[in-house]
Amino acid sequence: MAALSSYSMPTEQPAFSFQNQPQSHASGGPTQHSFYPYTDNGGSTLGISGSSFTIIAGDTRMTSGYNILTRYAPKLFRIGGEGPEHAGAKIVLSVVGFAADGQALQERLDMVVKMYRYQHGKDMSVHACAQRLSHILYNKRFFPYYVQAILGGIDEEGVGALYSYDPVGSYEREQCRAAGAAASLIMPFLDNQVNLKNQYEPDAPQGLEKPQLQPQPLDRQTVEELVRDAFTSAVERHIEVGDGLQMMVITKDGIEELYSPLKQD
Amino acid sequence: MPGFDFSNHNRNLALHAQGVPLPKATSTGTTIVGCIYDGGVVIAADTRATSGPIVADKNCEKLHYIAPQIWCAGAGTAADTEFTTALISSNLELHALSTGRKPRVVTVMTMLKQHLFRYQGHIGAYLVVAGCDPTGNHLFTVHAHGSTDKLPYVTMGSGSLAAMSVFETQWKRDMNRDEAVKLCAEAIQAGIFNDLGSGSNVDVCVITPEKTHLLRNYITPNVREKKMRDYKFKRGTTAVLNEKIITKEEISKYVVVEDVPGEQAVGEKMEVDQ
Amino acid sequence: MFIARSEYDRGINTFSPEGRLFQVEYSLEAIKLGSTAIGVTTASGTVLGVEKRITSSLLETSSVEKVVEIDQHIGCAMSGLQADARSMIEHARVTSQSHAFNYNEPIKVESCTQAICDLALRFGESASGEEEESIMSRPFGVALLIAGYDEDGPSLYHAEPSGTFYRYDAKAIGSGSEGAQAELQSSYHKSLTLPEAEDLVLKTLKQVMEEKLDANNVQLASVTKEKGFRVYGDEEMKGCVGRIENE
Repeated sequence: MAALSSYSMPTEQPAFSFQNQPQSHASGGPTQHSFYPYTDNGGSTLGISGSSFTIIAGDTRMTSGYNILTRYAPKLFRIGGEGPEHAGAKIVLSVVGFAADGQALQERLDMVVKMYRYQHGKDMSVHACAQRLSHILYNKRFFPYYVQAILGGIDEEGVGALYSYDPVGSYEREQCRAAGAAASLIMPFLDNQVNLKNQYEPDAPQGLEKPQLQPQPLDRQTVEELVRDAFTSAVERHIEVGDGLQMMVITKDGIEELYSPLKQD
Repeated sequence: MPGFDFSNHNRNLALHAQGVPLPKATSTGTTIVGCIYDGGVVIAADTRATSGPIVADKNCEKLHYIAPQIWCAGAGTAADTEFTTALISSNLELHALSTGRKPRVVTVMTMLKQHLFRYQGHIGAYLVVAGCDPTGNHLFTVHAHGSTDKLPYVTMGSGSLAAMSVFETQWKRDMNRDEAVKLCAEAIQAGIFNDLGSGSNVDVCVITPEKTHLLRNYITPNVREKKMRDYKFKRGTTAVLNEKIITKEEISKYVVVEDVPGEQAVGEKMEVDQ
Repeated sequence: MFIARSEYDRGINTFSPEGRLFQVEYSLEAIKLGSTAIGVTTASGTVLGVEKRITSSLLETSSVEKVVEIDQHIGCAMSGLQADARSMIEHARVTSQSHAFNYNEPIKVESCTQAICDLALRFGESASGEEEESIMSRPFGVALLIAGYDEDGPSLYHAEPSGTFYRYDAKAIGSGSEGAQAELQSSYHKSLTLPEAEDLVLKTLKQVMEEKLDANNVQLASVTKEKGFRVYGDEEMKGCVGRIENE
């Protein structure tokens, strides 16, 4: 994942000082006004892929500064299904960052996937969808969708597939990825628990030769527990994460959605 | 030399001009409230301390002691509220000693505003001062620039609007102790749940002319649920590159070694997985 | 017979009272003047064969290109106005590349054929100020046999200037198409091997060609899973032609 994801702090501060008083015209210079079209709506997402499933999760809080705009704004979207319930969809897109851009991106990708089925008479593979999403993002290279996206599904071999993106379309297939406000809190946990980083064979002798623990494919139960623990922990230490945990489990049979409450403070 | 040390001011100014960011102070993006009732005064606070969007302390104390019957709730920069209240508390004690009288709330309020005004808002302390003295029960707010208010119910901090909405809908005259405590706790909870800068628990302090009750963690609506998995690592999981054993006898050549019984160790117990 | 048509065959987007578009029908006539092209599908791949009309002994035969590549897995043979085919093939190539670029997968043969046929209909007069101006003043004068191999296996499509296309097991177009199609009808069966299909294409061409068939005046190409689209080289052509002559 490339740059462009530097975190900006909530702008509304309880303090007020003479320094951030608006500059008056009395200073002589011209006053410049500007329009900044982006907002950071907080929240966090996370995806883990297994041997026959992919799980994507996100909290449902939407924030602006120190305010909660809503306690239930899903960041997970089914892509390419039919009707308002997106029946038959096999791909999930999660977006975190600027909620309006996330919504626009989701609508765009959904349309592309639906058009693909009309034009080519088959469902789009996650592999193809991943490439297309990258292009949609890069097409707005100089006015980007302000989002960190994670795309999940099942690949043509039946194996869980997970792709993560930066806001301008650089992407990569991975085993796990956390994005959004609490990414820096969750990702090290995932590195350690999913890819077993910094863990060595306990019974091997100490020293430079000590072998690393090799990651094993995780079962669905374990992954669901890791996701839940990752989020309850993120809620403890990040003010923009909370309210609800939405999880989507993608298997060859379709998408299963799970919801459980998180702390509301 | 008393007072603040400004010797790094010019260096920091130069560094800042070169683009070095200012250090991030722990701010108690906070909800604090106070309310007078028949026979006393109540102040309350949440217990979250933040650094940017990160929760720095989940259970900090924002109710500060000034005098036995005068307490202060602080919002703003954590260090400023702590040091300012401690300083005023000390000076008030000296004042009480030299006058031989019980300290008054107005005195505290006046000392605070004069101190804060001198520093033109650079000391980011936003305070609710409450207490009982021979002149009655009093409640004040003091802003970082030195302005003060005297009101029957007050709120401050980033959750002040959420808390005030509770006061404005439910406050009434001539409340008793329980009603006032309940109302203040409700107001704090409004802040906890609707303001991201506030969270965790409710601390309450009830002051009457006779006695002060500090109700630490009066309500704990945000207890962490049990983790689903066990994250205990097997011994030997961490790679050790080399090992050197220094005995107690060796180290006592440099420092005094003293055994402290396990449970009575100083400081709060750290949060660990059981 | 042509008198009745004359009133309606100038406007290329004007239906006759009987519901016909004469200019489109005329374009089909242009194909009947073209050289013969044949395609035959087997389980392992599709074979394309075209007749090269060597109008002069001074003509460099390798410069007659009537079988071309669209993508690694799609090729096509043409009959009719060759110049028209160039813009269709250009469009098909761009569409195929754009699909691979956008989706990181090869385009389906049917989708590629559909793209060509979408282009075939972009003719006619457009009123000034119309949003999309037509790019051509007349229909194409060429038909294509599009052979490819995708996730559904080998396939063969026939695309006409009218913008319609059909999928075939075996199809002949061009001046000798009537005779050739009759021959394919009787000789084709589902269990043909690729070499048998090469023989069938050459034999059928041999029957309908005016000149005597040799390794220079016909061109074969094939699309298989393993090798994709491939135009046969001189040596391979000699081998194939030699094989049918020895029988």
